[in-house]
Amino acid sequence: MRRAAPPTPDLRERIATASWNVNGASPTEEFAALPLFQHQARVIQPYAAYLEYLAVTPGSVADWRDIPPVPASAFKSHYLSAAPPEVDGRPGSPGVVFETSGTTVSRPGRVRLGDTGLYEASLLRSFERHLLPDGARLRAIVFGPTREEAPRSSLWFMVDRVVREFASGPPHHVVRGGEPHWKIADDALGAAAADGEPLLLLGTTLFFMATFERLAALDRTFLLPPGSRAMDTGGAKGLSAEFARADVAAAFERFLGIPSTHLVNEYGMAELGSQFYDDALLAHHEGRAPLAGKRIPPWVRTRVLDPETMEEVAEDTPGLLVHYDLANAEIPLAIQTEDIGRRTGDRLHLEGRLLGSEPRGCSLTFERFLAEGRP
Amino acid sequence: MSEPTAIDAFYLPAWLAVGMETTVQRFGPPHDSMDLRLPVVSSNDIQRWIEALRQARAERLVNRTTASILRSLDRVATRFLDSRDSARCSAVAALERAGRFSTPMIERCLDDAFTPLVRGGLRKWLTAELGSASALDRPTTVGGATRAAHGPEWMLHVYAGNVPTVPIWPLLSAPLLKSALLAKTSSQEPILAPLLARTIAEVDPEIGECLAVVWWKGGAAELDRAALSDAPAVLAFGGDVAMASVARQARPGAALVLHGPKLSIGYIGRHALTRSALPKLTARAALDVALYDQQGCLSPHAYYVERRGAVSPVDFAAALGDALESFAWTLPRREPTATEAAAIQMARAQARFNAAAGGERAYRGGVFASPGGTHWTVVCENGARFEPGPAHRSVRVHAIESPEEFERAIAPDARYVEALALEEAGPRRASLAARFAAMGLPRIAAVGALQQPSPLSTHGGVGRLRPFVTWTTVESARPTVKTPARPAAPVPAKPPASKPSARGSRTKAGSRRRSR
Repeated sequence: MRRAAPPTPDLRERIATASWNVNGASPTEEFAALPLFQHQARVIQPYAAYLEYLAVTPGSVADWRDIPPVPASAFKSHYLSAAPPEVDGRPGSPGVVFETSGTTVSRPGRVRLGDTGLYEASLLRSFERHLLPDGARLRAIVFGPTREEAPRSSLWFMVDRVVREFASGPPHHVVRGGEPHWKIADDALGAAAADGEPLLLLGTTLFFMATFERLAALDRTFLLPPGSRAMDTGGAKGLSAEFARADVAAAFERFLGIPSTHLVNEYGMAELGSQFYDDALLAHHEGRAPLAGKRIPPWVRTRVLDPETMEEVAEDTPGLLVHYDLANAEIPLAIQTEDIGRRTGDRLHLEGRLLGSEPRGCSLTFERFLAEGRP
Repeated sequence: MSEPTAIDAFYLPAWLAVGMETTVQRFGPPHDSMDLRLPVVSSNDIQRWIEALRQARAERLVNRTTASILRSLDRVATRFLDSRDSARCSAVAALERAGRFSTPMIERCLDDAFTPLVRGGLRKWLTAELGSASALDRPTTVGGATRAAHGPEWMLHVYAGNVPTVPIWPLLSAPLLKSALLAKTSSQEPILAPLLARTIAEVDPEIGECLAVVWWKGGAAELDRAALSDAPAVLAFGGDVAMASVARQARPGAALVLHGPKLSIGYIGRHALTRSALPKLTARAALDVALYDQQGCLSPHAYYVERRGAVSPVDFAAALGDALESFAWTLPRREPTATEAAAIQMARAQARFNAAAGGERAYRGGVFASPGGTHWTVVCENGARFEPGPAHRSVRVHAIESPEEFERAIAPDARYVEALALEEAGPRRASLAARFAAMGLPRIAAVGALQQPSPLSTHGGVGRLRPFVTWTTVESARPTVKTPARPAAPVPAKPPASKPSARGSRTKAGSRRRSR
């Protein structure tokens, strides 16, 4: 099999220069994913076999919508990467290996990247736009572990990368050795409240809510200086840890003094190089009302399919999400998820579990095999 | 869509319901919700109800004869089988509106639940578990032992909502045991159990006085505690977390039967795999899959099919798909939610990926799926493993070499298996059944009979009545006590090392056993 060079430099340039239209409408520019798809169809062997099984000839695909997505669960069963085999996640091996959670096979999936350049270009650009539109460079508190402590986590890789790029000074990490060290959080929050220096907080919604539960039990609050902001991730989906968005926002305001204009929820997954963010802070910065939903980056497309027929549904209709991400250079760019949402223009609205679909009674379902969130 | 009238989703005896504050709540998905009237429950109410139920039981139920209770419950069951009866009609209408199962499925589900109870079925059930139908009335002699049975004073039931008829036998078991009942319904299916209780009260107001069926929100700690802390008997269905919480909060010594999450599976021996038997075999397997859309613990998620039969596992899978296709029309399923359908699509895509890209489980050409929708899915794979599927008529067919391979895969998770549907021709069926029984699986049934358990059988490997019963043994044999012969010469008395306990057990001959 020919190992042609991926069209990565070109993609990095496109991600760096893609323009963010601001009216919320569907993108009109061409989504040039076919060269990357055809490259992947050559170099990712299991994907090539899958295409053959589906009787899809890569060269004859003329529209990005016809690129067959891989099921996210296939990262559990197959070596689904163009990265060389020496990218194996062992100490000293090149590149990174992220582990995923998912639903259909119990072992975790593995996302192998020999070169994280494109991934980093994507995550930095989206984060800066949605969390730091004012160009602020803030002290950061990570409500989670360091990258070294969680080397298999795409989330903590991302957080590490953004705080190295954008934070002023070294970040505080609240989780050390797998345990929360609340004093680190209390000290950093207290110091910021006292000296008036705004903070950047990053973590999972679940962990933030646990933090607030603890503060409530202690009857303690912090009033962080204006300009402080938080990125929380998760919480819009998942089983045990689902919170109403309004409750999360109210808790940030009450315990930290962070208003909802400065709280930005992120949606991402290890199988995607790109992330999707709320509009709250960007809209506040631009002095306009926030658009509902999360921004689909210009180098990403999301199709919403009827989960029964797998046909694309009309705009603003809920369905199963399939993402096409140009930041996925070494892993297939088209990913079929189990997430349900709807798309309006360039915004994605994620839906949690439907009312009435509580975990079932005496029937054992694969919900109990479902690992929570993104590791 | 929703009609203006709210459905009463609770049952309380009239005198307890007087002055009861109720609230109307919306259940179900937003696009198709219905309004249910529910009592506003406080922990004080629960305590008051329990007290009232106990008193009603003492005054109206405990001294009734079993025969009179059986007559009433038989009448209730008969009403639910009569398509012109108001109870049956209300049940069908309410379950239709709840929208979780199609109408043919609801009709079938009521028939399956009530048919085994009529025409002496209830009496057989009682006899099967207690040895005699009058064991709760007076001491009866069975197999040489004379015993009287006692049901608990009252029972707490916590129902699950996955299959609407699951509460029916448990609810009837309380009056069958002459026990009062406080039952908590599931928010998934809060309608049928109150309707059944109301029908019992119509038929037999005295029994009706001893029943309360209500709903409160799961995890409402204070209410759960009020119901659980003093219950002498608890029967609960639910997830692992809920069951652990019930076990933690129950009073010491309470009779607890907790049914956690389970599923069922099938095993097809190679001698059963013939061309001529295939259509009927797969039709029966498909019925087990189709009934209740794999929402129940008796629903099969996987068939383990031996190789080297005249029909290969993949041909079995294809034929099972054809059989499921015909049930898609005759016994339609309820449309799954988007999330549920997305899980089916993921499983299908993964199966195709496996088939395409190889790997240990790959079975090329082994993915069968309904066209144009997720109505049914059959995936054939190599080797055995145990894992629930996404349900809603999705099954895996595992091509296996031997029963050993099956045992190795299932044994670690055998506690999650409710039943095994076993098909094999000739004497090998009995020997396979013996092997699989040795794994401790609670029930081994014929393919096609998974969803028709008998009340005479166990649920989850335990009886439906027996675990809650205590016994009085009445012994009549008088021991013959021999007067000890005077010893020829007096033996010098040796003081005992310690004084024998007055409560020390006696041997048959009545001599005191030396306590140590």
